[in-house]
Amino acid sequence: MNQVWNIFRKDARHHWPEIAASLALLVAFAWLDIRDWSHRDSFVATGFSILLASRFLPGLVDALVPISWTFLIVRIVQGESLVGDRQFWVTRPYDWKQLVAAKALFVLAFINLPLFILDIFLLIRAGFHPAHYLGGLLWMQVMWILCLFLPTAALATITKNIPQMLLAVLLLAIFMIGTTALSPLIPNSSAPSDIAGWSGFLLIGTAVAIILLQYSRRRTAFSRWLILGLCGLLTLMEVATPYRSVIAREYPLPNGNLPVQLALVPAVTHDTGSFPAYDGSIPIRFPLSVSGLPNDSLLQLNGMIVTLTNADGFRWDSGWRGQALSLVADEKTAHINFDLQQKVFDRMKSAPVTAHLLLAFTLYHNRDQREFTVPSGEFAWPDVGLCVSEMQYWNRVHCRVPLRRATSLFITSETAASTCPLTGRNIPPSPGVFAHNTVWGDSEPAEIGISPVHEVDIYLTNWDTSDSNATNPGICPGTPLILSNPESVGRNRIELHFENLSLADYRVGSAIIRTTVRSAGH
Amino acid sequence: MTSAIQTDTLIKKFRRVDALQGLTLNVPQSAVYALVGPNGAGKTTAIKILMNIIRATSGRAEVLGVDSSHIRGRLLEPIGYVSENQEMPEWMTVGALLDYLRPFYPAWDAALEAELIKQFDLPRDRKLRHLSRGMRMKAALASSLAYHPKLIVLDEPFTGLDPLVRDELIQGLIDRAEESSIFVSSHDLAEIETFASHVAYLEEGKLRFAEELTSLANRFREVELTFDAPPILPEKTPENWLQVSASAAVVRFTDCRFDAERSAAEIRTALGEPRNVTFSPMSLRSIFLAMAKSGRNLA
Repeated sequence: MNQVWNIFRKDARHHWPEIAASLALLVAFAWLDIRDWSHRDSFVATGFSILLASRFLPGLVDALVPISWTFLIVRIVQGESLVGDRQFWVTRPYDWKQLVAAKALFVLAFINLPLFILDIFLLIRAGFHPAHYLGGLLWMQVMWILCLFLPTAALATITKNIPQMLLAVLLLAIFMIGTTALSPLIPNSSAPSDIAGWSGFLLIGTAVAIILLQYSRRRTAFSRWLILGLCGLLTLMEVATPYRSVIAREYPLPNGNLPVQLALVPAVTHDTGSFPAYDGSIPIRFPLSVSGLPNDSLLQLNGMIVTLTNADGFRWDSGWRGQALSLVADEKTAHINFDLQQKVFDRMKSAPVTAHLLLAFTLYHNRDQREFTVPSGEFAWPDVGLCVSEMQYWNRVHCRVPLRRATSLFITSETAASTCPLTGRNIPPSPGVFAHNTVWGDSEPAEIGISPVHEVDIYLTNWDTSDSNATNPGICPGTPLILSNPESVGRNRIELHFENLSLADYRVGSAIIRTTVRSAGH
Repeated sequence: MTSAIQTDTLIKKFRRVDALQGLTLNVPQSAVYALVGPNGAGKTTAIKILMNIIRATSGRAEVLGVDSSHIRGRLLEPIGYVSENQEMPEWMTVGALLDYLRPFYPAWDAALEAELIKQFDLPRDRKLRHLSRGMRMKAALASSLAYHPKLIVLDEPFTGLDPLVRDELIQGLIDRAEESSIFVSSHDLAEIETFASHVAYLEEGKLRFAEELTSLANRFREVELTFDAPPILPEKTPENWLQVSASAAVVRFTDCRFDAERSAAEIRTALGEPRNVTFSPMSLRSIFLAMAKSGRNLA
């Protein structure tokens, strides 16, 4: 313990300018964050200085805070450099465990503790009692340690100085860019899989192993090989994962009846021929009729794979495409959108094609349905946060949320019941038309970030694209809402097969797709 | 009694370079042991292995009875190490360095620290980066002597220092010689000669010889023989005669196994009775020059 305190004091004395800079950035962050809550309308103000203050500066400080932490960690680790054979300290009776403890204490004292205090301060300023959120605050601290501090410290232990560290970061950035560039070449690699979890586990494990190995044995060459090995392993995992099997396992075919019936709506062709291809791609839209979804259910489309085959046997596979489409009971139409390269479209457009759609979805039951009338002024919205109705630019509810969105919330409102004043271009909404939105909850105890206070805008979307001007006045004080909490029932896939399609009929802009009018579903 | 340092067939290879080729050494306790040799001989490599800064390719080394590859942490408490190319915390003042290191050593002697500061005339409030090379070396030495180390390991401590600083450093070491074993590498033979008790000569990673300095000085003589007429040199001279040269009636050589009676008999056998014989003691520098030029292993 003697050594821990001695080394800690030495580091604190030596690195006070970096510590001061880091703390100053945290103070600036707090000031800008609070200012952002209280001056939310500033972004519409004109003028460069306002833009600078309201947009550029917070973004800059957001980035600089973690950079300052990274720099501080690198400096203190490299203060007793583990690379080389000329450093004076390696011939002194340092106990490596106490040295590691001293560095950890420094990080806790000058990074974690100030961040913790800042978070408590921000929660109080945002109107939340911090005692209720200690678990989430500690979770945020742990996530910073695992995601940033440990990897940074590991890199610092195998580099001698800041230029070497920057080189290492550059090499890792090149690796990540290369991996990202490789991803589109691997079919379905964007599909949800366990790779991200395993990658994180391997990354943290390797970082811990390197730190312990370096401090206990100073095996720099071996530690550097470990990082190369990790990169190789991650690449191998990305390349060798059987994504199609993973999708089939994650989204099995339903055992019984499908929770929803989907059918292709024939396109009513009125070819205008004027819609330009953009970015070398042709946008295609398959309109699907939706039926059979129970009133208390919500279906979230997570992703899809579209396969097209023409009469010549030419086959095109979209690979996994992530989607964020929600379907509710009163929704009668859904659109499946994807892009085709011009040359693929040219080969497919003239002859009938067969389309195979794999739609991966999560089914939710909406529990605990209840009515809620939006109060005026600031109000506490249970399981959401402190909210206020905003009517300046968009009729919505703006909320300050502590740590995370606690639960998923499905919000429905009959548009005719909206208390929002109609603007000149709106026509009064028809009775029986509903607008919805889903605020998805976070599964983790807190969102990782510097601030524990997040901002969420709650607004309603009218999915009826044919009548958008008329039916979405929004949420205002007094607007009655129907709330429920979507609870996941299970994940499944639907596989649809359509034959003899004329792809040109489904090109966006060349066809007017028939849409259906929704009926009241609640 | 355990040796202060013992190595057995120590080998270190850096890719294609054989830095050490089977070094076997025995440094007795309380010795002032000088490891000498030209630049690139492997002296620093040997010391870094002893201090567990780098690992040997093969072989074994013990320092104060402990396998050198295990030396870390508390096992460094009885060892003082100073190297000419050590990276010091330049941002610290001399006083801060000593204050910082004090808690690391249970045997730190504050009175001795003050004495060393005074002896070396060190400015406590001056940052290391603002000190001259000699002053930095003195600060490093003071920080390595203040805890009464059982073993002091010095790697080329006198390189580039002016004579006054060298004398101060040597005096500082001599003052500690009674309580410590000292292992010092150097190519400054004149300085080593003034205080070393043992000397080992390393060349191209190989140990040429290792022995007590008095024994070395006793067995090396510069021999000058004067004959009445130019003698005929035999094709094969005794092995212990180095750099044999003849000029008219005078023959000169270095005898590396000098013994008054035996050497005289050897001369008579090889060259006959000389008119005059002179056996002159040699400096360490002359001995090494003779050995280097003859290229013989005389261990």
